[in-house]
Amino acid sequence: MTAAGPAVRLTGATRRFGDRTAVDAVDLTIHQGERVALLGPSGAGKSTLLALLNASLRPTSGTVEVLGADLATLTGPALRVVQRRVGTIGQRLDLVDQVRVLHNVNAGRLGRWSTGRSLLALALPRPDPVVVSALEAVGLGWAVHERTERLSGGERQRVAIARLLVQDPELVLADEPVSSLDPSRASEVLGLLRAATPDGTLVVSLHQPELARRHCTRAIGLQQGRVVLDRPADELDDALLAELYALT
Amino acid sequence: MSLDTRPADRPASTRAATERPRVTARRVALRRLVGTGLVALVVGWSLVRSLSTDGALVNTGGLRLLGRLLAAVGDPATSPDFLRIVLDAALTTVVYAALGTAGALVIGVAGALVLSDATWRHPPGRVVGAIRLVLRGMLVGVRAIHELIWALLFVSVLGLDPLVAVLAIAVPFGAQTAKVFAEILDAAPRHPVSAMRASGARSAAALAYGLVPAAIPLLLSYAFYRFECAIRSAVVLGVVGVGGLGQEMVLSLQSRNWDEVWTLVAAVVVLSGVVDVWSSKVRGDLAVVSCSDWSGGSTGTPRGNRSSWARWSAVFAAVGLVAAWFASGVSWAGLVSARTRELTVRLVDDLLPPALPPGGWSVLGGATLDTLAMAVLAMVVAVGVTLVVGPLATRVRPVGTDEGAARLTRAPRLVGRVGARGVLLVLRSVPPTVWAALALLVLFPGVLPGAVALGLYTGGILGRLVAEAWESMDTRPRDALRAAGVRSGLAALVAVLPPSSHQLVTYTLYRFEICVRDTAIVGVVGAAGLGRLFAENLSVFRFSAVTTLLLASFAVSAASEVLGRRIRRAISA
Repeated sequence: MTAAGPAVRLTGATRRFGDRTAVDAVDLTIHQGERVALLGPSGAGKSTLLALLNASLRPTSGTVEVLGADLATLTGPALRVVQRRVGTIGQRLDLVDQVRVLHNVNAGRLGRWSTGRSLLALALPRPDPVVVSALEAVGLGWAVHERTERLSGGERQRVAIARLLVQDPELVLADEPVSSLDPSRASEVLGLLRAATPDGTLVVSLHQPELARRHCTRAIGLQQGRVVLDRPADELDDALLAELYALT
Repeated sequence: MSLDTRPADRPASTRAATERPRVTARRVALRRLVGTGLVALVVGWSLVRSLSTDGALVNTGGLRLLGRLLAAVGDPATSPDFLRIVLDAALTTVVYAALGTAGALVIGVAGALVLSDATWRHPPGRVVGAIRLVLRGMLVGVRAIHELIWALLFVSVLGLDPLVAVLAIAVPFGAQTAKVFAEILDAAPRHPVSAMRASGARSAAALAYGLVPAAIPLLLSYAFYRFECAIRSAVVLGVVGVGGLGQEMVLSLQSRNWDEVWTLVAAVVVLSGVVDVWSSKVRGDLAVVSCSDWSGGSTGTPRGNRSSWARWSAVFAAVGLVAAWFASGVSWAGLVSARTRELTVRLVDDLLPPALPPGGWSVLGGATLDTLAMAVLAMVVAVGVTLVVGPLATRVRPVGTDEGAARLTRAPRLVGRVGARGVLLVLRSVPPTVWAALALLVLFPGVLPGAVALGLYTGGILGRLVAEAWESMDTRPRDALRAAGVRSGLAALVAVLPPSSHQLVTYTLYRFEICVRDTAIVGVVGAAGLGRLFAENLSVFRFSAVTTLLLASFAVSAASEVLGRRIRRAISA
């Protein structure tokens, strides 16, 4: 674990796409070990905010500090060093359908592997204990050599979580990971995500207040790119949410 | 797992649909009338141009020779010595084709990595954009020049080195492959790669894990398709004198050993047929792509299942390549020797500045018009071949559940189909150089023999493409009409004719673009057009005129490509 200090600090972070402002001058600090639920209507800027945090997008203005590093000033290897400590699970899961499950799980370790080692592992697939135990943790121990496209939607999601487990990140970003799941499955998935970073930080965007209350310590509400709500998760109530999701 | 269908295009197309003027019956009739009139005009002009020569058209003396050739069909040369020569030549042809394809793939992969958007982390900046623009232009230029012309240029630097054949295939095919590979990479889903990069993966590793597996079935499928084409090209290149079946054919024809010609024709047909069948099986297993898709410019979708046939074919191809490399005795030494360097410098020096060929603009203009007329007439011949043979070569899917009736007609249909496919295979396997040599026995040099030769060859290719497209056509509308009580002939006329004629027109236009470039082949053996002028000027080392002719050929094929693409788009709209 790195020295104490915030996991994430945004200062006036703004991101525009053309003349649309997706994230608008956000000031936000997330401390290590916090589990943050990101709430808000579609188009409020949740996905853009998460993309700023793993440097797949750069802020138009303002600064984004993640795990003590200012992402805007970093490029190349120095940026990769930070990025490999940040694990992301996107809405589309970002799995490669045509390869074995093993390779999709190994994709989580590419940040730490040299190019040669990565290519070797692709050419000579050999499941090592790390991969096997990650897949077993999500209940897919049998699927190491299965082709990813043969798996069901739920199984694919667990492959993506196994990829997070082998990456062993200090900060996990999850973009609507449970939007298409029934309530008990959703809770199970959030439990797995928490397990992916036992004493790290979790930022997850979702729409279900009860899941936020059960799995998160803090709730942040976004509306039109601005933070309009920020309080402990257990203080969430229906009135607050109705206001947040009201189309104004 | 479907490929990206580019949703961004959708709003634009709906907008176009609402803005498009209303189609009325009068508009349709007018458009058809104008279209037919234009085609008739162009064909008529080409015909007049090809027939208006000073002397006779038909060489009656040659008819006897042709008769002797045809008489020898039942008695091909089978002496062990000659068969050994044929086998050697066939091996040489395969080796050239394999190494040429491998070279094209190397060029293609390198070019695609630069040209594709999917391989770049960020939208490319101004410098990269400029590099790509230059590269794109170079590739277009390289593609526009026929393999045979490349071979002639390489021969003037390298001499009769096997490297000439390999490079002459690798360079233009590589340019084409780069374009297609870049399109394939861009069509693959991109988000896995960006996700891997966001978790700190290096670029090479992210591409290897995220992009390559999604694209590899289509890349391999295209590679095998290229190898099919390379076999035909390697035979054509024989005329330059670098060896292989094409060279033996030209030698036997020139020395009028008709029995040998037939043995060689058989060898070419068998070789080409085996490669076609192998390659189309691999392509069918790897991806839902037919030959017609690749040539029509549409990329298919990878098939879900893994094919052991395709995998073993890839392994076999890799081992075969290594063997071919050692068997060919091709070495890079020729490429970097002091002599080559000196000759290259001298060639470039001679090529510049461009100058008009003797006879000036009128000769150049005449040859350009000859080239166009030849390509038009060749397409007339090819479409004729396709209309006659194509329907026979198409597998007709049985209608309804009338098993008994289907069985009655099955055997004759099968015979007809195999025969028709055989005819098409022979037409496209025998190189156009040989068709031209045959045509020149009967017809005096000019546009006509070139058009006949090129038309027969193109007919073999067009017939196969169109038959393949017809087979994959949706027959449900026809079946629905029949089920509704419409008589079968009428149902076919209404439901099958419009889409099949559309496919014929599309592929004809596409092949026309290639045909314009292919006129170089028959020109080199003496028919007419820019190719002949090129060969004449090259043989007397008038290099400044050669440059002009290269530029003229480039302009003609670029113009026909742009025009063809416009018309194809207008038709499909």
